[in-house]
Amino acid sequence: MILYPVLVHMYLELVYNGHTEKAISLMRTFGPEQDTYYQDDLKKLAIVTKREHMSGNELTDTFKSNQFIIRMSRDTLSLLKRHLNDKKASVLLNIIQEHLYFDMYEGVARNKSQIDATSGAVGGEAKRQDNKAKVYYGIPKAPDIQTLAAPVEEEEGEGADQDNPEKPKKKKAKKDPLFSKKTKSDPNAPPPDRIPAPDLKDNDKLEKVKAIREASRRVTLGPETLPSVCCYTLLNANHSVCCAEITEDSSMLAVGFNDSIVKVWSLVPQKLKALKSAQQLQEVNIEAEDLMVRIMNERTGEVSRTLAGHSGPVYSVSFSPDRTLLLSCSEDATIRLWSLQIWTCLVVYKGHLFPIWDVKFSPLGYYFATASHDRTARLWATDHYSPLRLFAGHFSDVDCVQFHPNSNYVATGSSDRRVCLWDCTTGNHVRLMTGHKAPIHSLAFSVCGRFLASSGADCRVLIWDLSHGHLVAELTGHEKAVHTLTFSRCGNILCSGGLDCCLKVWDFSKITEDISSEEVNVSHNPDVKTGEQYLLRDFATKSSPLINLHFTRRNLLLAVAAFDGTNP
Amino acid sequence: MSSKVHENDLYGTNFSVESIKVIAESIGIANLQDEAAKELSDEISFRLKHIIQDAAKFMHHGKRVKLMQSDIDCALRAKNIEPQYGFQSSEYLPFRFASGGGRELHFLEEAEVDLNDLIQNLNPKAPYEVTLRTHWLSIDGIQPTIPENPPPASKSMQRLESVDPINKKPMKETSGKPTTGKQKLKNVETVQIKQLATHELSVEQQLYYKEITEACVGSDEGRRAEALQSLASDPGLHEMLPRMCTFIIEGVRVNVVQNNLALLIYLMRMVKALLDNQSLYLEKYLHELIPAVTTCIVSKQLCMRPEFDNHWALRDFASRLMAQICKNFNTSTNNIQTRITRMFTNALNQGEKMPLSSMYGALQALSELGPEVVRIFILPRVKMIGARIEQHLEASAVSNVDKIASGHIKQLMIKALVPVLKSIRPPPDYIDEYTQEYGYFGPLLNSGVSKARTQPNPTTLSSSSNANSASAITSVASTISRPMPTPTIIQQNNIGGRTIVMNPGVGRVSTQVSNQKIVVLTQRPPVSSNQINQIQNQQIPSSQQNTVVKLVSSSNTPVQQKLVNSQQKMVLVGNVNSSQGLNSSGQQNMSFMMQKTNMNIHKINSDVFSHVDDLSHLE
Repeated sequence: MILYPVLVHMYLELVYNGHTEKAISLMRTFGPEQDTYYQDDLKKLAIVTKREHMSGNELTDTFKSNQFIIRMSRDTLSLLKRHLNDKKASVLLNIIQEHLYFDMYEGVARNKSQIDATSGAVGGEAKRQDNKAKVYYGIPKAPDIQTLAAPVEEEEGEGADQDNPEKPKKKKAKKDPLFSKKTKSDPNAPPPDRIPAPDLKDNDKLEKVKAIREASRRVTLGPETLPSVCCYTLLNANHSVCCAEITEDSSMLAVGFNDSIVKVWSLVPQKLKALKSAQQLQEVNIEAEDLMVRIMNERTGEVSRTLAGHSGPVYSVSFSPDRTLLLSCSEDATIRLWSLQIWTCLVVYKGHLFPIWDVKFSPLGYYFATASHDRTARLWATDHYSPLRLFAGHFSDVDCVQFHPNSNYVATGSSDRRVCLWDCTTGNHVRLMTGHKAPIHSLAFSVCGRFLASSGADCRVLIWDLSHGHLVAELTGHEKAVHTLTFSRCGNILCSGGLDCCLKVWDFSKITEDISSEEVNVSHNPDVKTGEQYLLRDFATKSSPLINLHFTRRNLLLAVAAFDGTNP
Repeated sequence: MSSKVHENDLYGTNFSVESIKVIAESIGIANLQDEAAKELSDEISFRLKHIIQDAAKFMHHGKRVKLMQSDIDCALRAKNIEPQYGFQSSEYLPFRFASGGGRELHFLEEAEVDLNDLIQNLNPKAPYEVTLRTHWLSIDGIQPTIPENPPPASKSMQRLESVDPINKKPMKETSGKPTTGKQKLKNVETVQIKQLATHELSVEQQLYYKEITEACVGSDEGRRAEALQSLASDPGLHEMLPRMCTFIIEGVRVNVVQNNLALLIYLMRMVKALLDNQSLYLEKYLHELIPAVTTCIVSKQLCMRPEFDNHWALRDFASRLMAQICKNFNTSTNNIQTRITRMFTNALNQGEKMPLSSMYGALQALSELGPEVVRIFILPRVKMIGARIEQHLEASAVSNVDKIASGHIKQLMIKALVPVLKSIRPPPDYIDEYTQEYGYFGPLLNSGVSKARTQPNPTTLSSSSNANSASAITSVASTISRPMPTPTIIQQNNIGGRTIVMNPGVGRVSTQVSNQKIVVLTQRPPVSSNQINQIQNQQIPSSQQNTVVKLVSSSNTPVQQKLVNSQQKMVLVGNVNSSQGLNSSGQQNMSFMMQKTNMNIHKINSDVFSHVDDLSHLE
């Protein structure tokens, strides 16, 4: 357990003092004996053979400036210390003293598989201290009976009370049968005003009503009723597709390309229309019922539209919840906000210094989060040029970012193989989860808000319990990097897809069932559920790596894949 | 470029000192010191590895597994290094900037196109635009078999299954029912038990089967072509494979007894189509298919009138199929090729008892298996075979059937042996030696070999392509049209004189030689006294030394055009007596296709003449 950091530090020490030959022979002898998940890092370290190479190298910097964290029981630790003292291994003691941090706990020592489950991250394991803070992982329920399950709706309730008294009545009739049961408030939910959110517009409320109506017709999925999957395959893409995203109501698909273009397709019969010109807009009667329809220029309808403006590959796109805005982030270190009504760029957000890997709109709209090569994640608001929060702490690129359904937290996954949960209000990290063995490419929160699924280049999907930050399940089966994860709207099914051209359907309700039967607390790690017993089905595509997965409101699974004709 | 090291070595490869020196020289620095070169190589290797590591990040975020030059570009940009040499990044922004008169303007640049290039079509092909295709990947947990989805069982899975049935997946995707976790657990416990194979076909599959089999043996040539095309390309057929195979072997069994040549041909074409299907793995069914194919090669009688019908073509075609089977499925464990070779060799050893037609089949099959097989198994028997056919060819009293058969064997032997002899015998070809060694065939082989030696490659190529014809057999674009009273395979009608003319030629790879794909169409003139009025031979010189012969029949509209290898003499095709003419001419490299046009005439003529009502063109 401590061999790997000790080896690394001995190696670096030798290199630093100019004993290149000795360093190389040390690495040759002991490097291959380390755990397989450290081999990649050892390879990266091995290219460092000179003192000059060390400066500016991400990995060596991390090791130099941070202590490697190892969790150990009190007994083991005292045994270790006694052993080292007996042997008079002063070099080892120095290294351990200087660069290692032991997170000691009372209780029995862990076995090898338990250690393997949580190790693998660049900086060692997470400290218990990291995961002590309280996380409001619940979804807030408004005290008002006619408000809805999601936080957005409760805003709506308030907004409606003030400026639009007849609105709630209309909704009450519809929702009462559906939501009367859910009025009990979740003890884990954050206070509704923890995050300030913009008031909802009339249009948004109509949209919500529509969403509820749609959701009531939803199929509840489970092992017996598997989802139907509709696949959108991008042809002639030839490795040029970087990302794809589907709107919440499944009406539009945006795809970001390698050649800096963003393309938006309409997935419904309605074409993508542009707003009328200012002159024509003046003639529109603003009192009209169908104002939103009237302001659109009917003649501009198109099935797909192209947005050009970036000057580098577009690595991620994200729709705003009201479908009028689109965010895209690119290698050129900018984020662009596009209007989907006039089809032009509205704002260019500059702030990151390096390529931006991921961008996500908050479920409330207004806020968005980005993840970048500069090892930070940032929280922005659409009306501010500069970021509101800067989440720094990862040792390597932040590869993906995801908003918690209640918008109070942001989760990030990084190339340092750690998943981190950040509090939007304070900007602190509240959970730090280790266990991935390779960069993390995708994150998804469960519908209930308590669990987080993450996946990455290590071909596994890990499920974390946010209440204590424990790893609870490890889903193996994929053969290549997993790039997309999604939960069904009912929360019973988890779907994953990736470069191995395979879509896998996992039984998430069974996982939660198994977890809830176990008792957990902060210090006690639950057993990690593994194996393929949760796999319900897998569907292979025809040599088309999956780019994105999305459940419609009625629980139809939409998959976006890019056909790759070059690999047979 | 770089020194080789152990695969798992953490240090990988470095630039060698030599390559650094070469690079240094190329930019004008001579006599680089060894130590300097060493320093440089270490430094450069480090930088390169670093950049490649970073580029890999860009690759991962591009959701690819292939590192592209743009990734290297991006990595350099992120490191603030100017892109060097070949990796200059193209401009991302399609906009151009212009200003003037106090105004600034961004515009989309449109490249100028040279009209001449456009007219002459010199421009490179424009890349296709990315398009969106919507399809169902799964409906209620069942994956539909559509072209957009992968075949239900991949070829490698089928292969695995046929080798080791235990490997069969416990949960069969195609069974249609979603399995729950509990059921799966059970399967884990009973994993040693071979799963019962479910052989239920859906209604659609049953319909498909019915349609396909009817079309394959029916009278409509167009439909047959479509059906065979479907068999050869459809990805989801493996479930129906057992039934298809049963259909074929039963069909062969029945029709061999009834000497129904046409149906045998159709069935062999089905085998060919199944063999050509990339998504099927036929090994499990070879024990059924090989006997059926073998029957079509060596059966004593395959048609009603051996002296007229061209059953040789069927034997040739089946032989090629056999060669293809050997090539595709021969492994060290099943030894298919060895077993098949032994089977045919044993047949040859039967000596006088064996009918000549079977002998022809066995020889043809062996010759298809490659020059090596010809050398080892046919060459030693040349004298014996020669003696046997000599008595048929030279003696006048024997039956016509034997004489024709002997003629075919003679042709075949020469064709198969000449290239082999040419390669194994040293140049001086003495006719006496040949006669001594090969008996009756001696003089013929001698002249053949010496002719082959004087000719440049094309000839040998065309004949040696026999040997590897398995690969050369391309899809059978054939048209057989003939009236079929009933579209079932157990059909039993005897239409008086039926002659099937097929292309027995083997030496041509029709897809590769562009000027060979002209098809011949001839039509029967409307009256019985049909004679060719006019034969117009047009010789068109071509690179392949082929001749184009145009035949115009009396009714003047149908024009026949065909290509013949120049070595052969042209032949002619008539109509009424054509079958005899053809058979006796023994043309091997002719491809013919005729179309039956007029049933009424057929009837009128049937009692007088023998007819060509069945034509096929198997290559």
